[in-house]
Amino acid sequence: MMNPRRGILRWIARHPRSPGVLLLGPAGLWLAAFFLLPILILLAYSVMPRGAHGGVTPGFTLEHYRRFFDPLYLGILRRTVWLSLLCTIACLLLAYPTAYFIARSGRRRNLLLFLAVLPFWTSSLVRTYAMIFLLRDSGLINRLLLDAGLIEAPLRLLYTEGAVLVGLVYGALPFMILPIYASIEKLDPALLEAAEGLGARSWARFTQVMWPLTLPGVAAGCLLVFVPSLGSFVVPDLLGGARQMMIGNLIQNQFGSARNWPFGSAAAFAVMALVMIAMLGVIRLNGLDDTGAEHGTGPGRGA
Amino acid sequence: MTARRAPFAVSLTAVLTYAFMHLPLLVLIAFSFNRSRFGVQWGGFTLDWYARLASRPDILRALRLSLVVGLLSTLLATALGTLAALALARHLPRARRAAGALLYLPIVTPEIIAGVSLLVLFSWLGIALGITTIVIAHTAFSIPFVTVVLLARLQGSDRSLEEAAMSLGADEFATFRRVTLPQLMPGVLAGALLAFTLSFDDFVITFFVAGVGSTTLPLAVYSMVRKSVEPTINALSALLVIGTTVAVYLADRLARGSARA
Amino acid sequence: MTRHFPSRREFVDAALRAALAVSVAGPVLSACTGERRPPAPGLEPELNIYNWFDYIGPETLAGFEEEYGVRVNYDTYESNEEMLGKLIAGATGYDLIVPTGYQLTVLRDRGMITRLDRSKLNNWDNLMPQFQGTPPDPGGEYAVPYQWGITGIGYRADLLPSAPDSWGAFLDGFAQGRATMLDDMREVIGCMLRYRGHSLNSIDPAELDRAKVDAIAAKTRLLAFMTQAVRGQLASGDVIMAQCANGDARQAQRENPNVAFALPREGSTIYVDYMALLSNAPHPAAATAFLNYILRPDIGAAISEETGFGTPNRAAQERMRDPIPYPTADELTRLEYERDLGPATALWDRIWTEVKASA
Repeated sequence: MMNPRRGILRWIARHPRSPGVLLLGPAGLWLAAFFLLPILILLAYSVMPRGAHGGVTPGFTLEHYRRFFDPLYLGILRRTVWLSLLCTIACLLLAYPTAYFIARSGRRRNLLLFLAVLPFWTSSLVRTYAMIFLLRDSGLINRLLLDAGLIEAPLRLLYTEGAVLVGLVYGALPFMILPIYASIEKLDPALLEAAEGLGARSWARFTQVMWPLTLPGVAAGCLLVFVPSLGSFVVPDLLGGARQMMIGNLIQNQFGSARNWPFGSAAAFAVMALVMIAMLGVIRLNGLDDTGAEHGTGPGRGA
Repeated sequence: MTARRAPFAVSLTAVLTYAFMHLPLLVLIAFSFNRSRFGVQWGGFTLDWYARLASRPDILRALRLSLVVGLLSTLLATALGTLAALALARHLPRARRAAGALLYLPIVTPEIIAGVSLLVLFSWLGIALGITTIVIAHTAFSIPFVTVVLLARLQGSDRSLEEAAMSLGADEFATFRRVTLPQLMPGVLAGALLAFTLSFDDFVITFFVAGVGSTTLPLAVYSMVRKSVEPTINALSALLVIGTTVAVYLADRLARGSARA
Repeated sequence: MTRHFPSRREFVDAALRAALAVSVAGPVLSACTGERRPPAPGLEPELNIYNWFDYIGPETLAGFEEEYGVRVNYDTYESNEEMLGKLIAGATGYDLIVPTGYQLTVLRDRGMITRLDRSKLNNWDNLMPQFQGTPPDPGGEYAVPYQWGITGIGYRADLLPSAPDSWGAFLDGFAQGRATMLDDMREVIGCMLRYRGHSLNSIDPAELDRAKVDAIAAKTRLLAFMTQAVRGQLASGDVIMAQCANGDARQAQRENPNVAFALPREGSTIYVDYMALLSNAPHPAAATAFLNYILRPDIGAAISEETGFGTPNRAAQERMRDPIPYPTADELTRLEYERDLGPATALWDRIWTEVKASA
């Protein structure tokens, strides 16, 4: 097969796995250098003492973690987790029917998939601005309600926790729709028909057949929604009126006006730990699936 | 594949969800043509706000920077991601599982952590924040997306042409250049377009690693949004959304077109 | 199936050419848009300024470019802390920055700003005497005063029953939930300290604790914490009472004459923003020329007219139609400059976090 006169090819022939390593190498190195390494440095920073103006000085200390394990900061983390959970549940409730709808839509399926994917690619800032435009006291929603005579004074929509939740859900929906859709699509319709044939009503068909079989997609979707929501700071700022501190705001603060990078690193690491736990949970549930088929972007599903 | 239509409640939820996902942006775009500056009363159709955008040098500079950064990081990410996908699909099938989880990690990590950790890295290494750091960061978060897209393409791909070429005497390099790559090109282009979109629209990570004279378009939008609500922002957002839609549509077409090839 | 997919070489070639075109077209285009003379003797051809958003006159930069033949790059930031954070993180390439008073201490201690060459600043004496040496920079050695401002209460005179005259207005629901405070740790905690008769630079834990309780109480009645957007919101009436700077209230007034400004009787912050020269500035001569340029009465007046803040320049003030008056002697007794908190920053930060994290 290979021309043995080429020296390199001879070497490759002797090391059957090396083309793979060579090909994977550059990307792997890039990610190792600019993703893994920074996180390791962050870890290092989190155990070093704070320098005079916010950086670090050499040394080792656990004071930042000690400081983090304080009701104030744990409370912030807990509230953030709670909000992210709410967001995940809301997304699930909206996304599951939508994914099912797409799977059952026949000819229009590609169009619907495209439309479901599209918001994901839009800038998060633009999406947040759209919410501001709609929700403010002098925004469109209040304007419509006032004009229709349904309310007498503008409703307080913006700068509330509800607005933050809506903003989070708005940004996260596509992440939930796609994995669930992928799972539903792989479902064998014969299973459902068999269940029906055996006398199961539609709700039972859902809970006994569809839901358990689509759990991997649901788990992946929940992961993809929950984790990024944890780190959100623009939405609480712009839509929440900077009233509530989520863990993302705390971290941003420490790297900004509070000038305390090591403490910010410790907080960031606490979040990272949560992410790892969530990921491990999902992996245990799913097994290490092919990411290729699991997390497509929609466009890759033509054939 | 399906016979039965979805129950009404499900369809209704789906329709409402689609409305929720798309109406706000459509409204935003619609009001970018509104003549009146304050409030949401319709004051007539105008292109003034777009004209204003064109006359603002800071916006034009931000646009130029976003394009340059996007192009550079896309080139890098697409090249590296394509090679990585080939490696995982063709040569290292067992590693694919572990690599799958590792690839997932950057996608799943909250952007603020990625941004802050890069800031710390560059600070520690003494690299001045600027265009270079932005390109490095964008490449890093785009590679996993490109790889994942291409892996999906490669899963069911047809190797018969490649085997034919090799049995006709072509070596690995020639096969790659003349057969594999052209076959893969639509998927590669799709991945490239998606990488470009990611880079062009990124805010959080760029926020932490941008430096002198390196305000990208989303950063410029952020400054404007913090200040006030006005139609110029609508116009800028409209352009961003339309640009993104076109890019994703092309990517979609390319990726699906190749499947039928 | 004979669709011609571009070969890899063609694709890379085209992409590289596109990238090259874009990066070349940019400077070419921008160079073509201005016939520029060569720079004045001794000056570098470029200048990089890092300033607050919208904190300069509309023609200031263009005028300087015209006269001195120097191309000015202007970058903006949202908050002092953001600027300081970026500089400490190693952002280089800037020549001039605009720090607020207490940050001069930090910058000077770190050796990040350099002494002015007063011999090149022949417009220096245009400054009012009290600005030629201010608490953050007593000898007038390190920075040129740029604008000054005070924090107070901006409000809609037509939408409030009476003018608020105390910080207590934020505690008693005076504005029916349409009030905002600045998203700024020093300002919020500081005004609550003043409300109880303490210094806004206090590092006393008991005083700070009281301020924290007050701030949390105030927050329950707040619409939001808002800094930049206050102008627009006051003008539109979404907000009817806001802790804000006098310059912001002034700008809001231009859009809506019903906006007024009051200095609470317990006192507040006075601050001076300076323009300072960074030690590692790549274009020091051009930067010094710019510093001298803004000390000119016409330029100073234009800047103040645009920003709405007070000018420290006596000669400029005389030229302005409606300048913000410098505080009276009586008002001055109630105004304090912010000082750097040093190690007490951690205590303040914790209190601010508690305020922000409260329900």
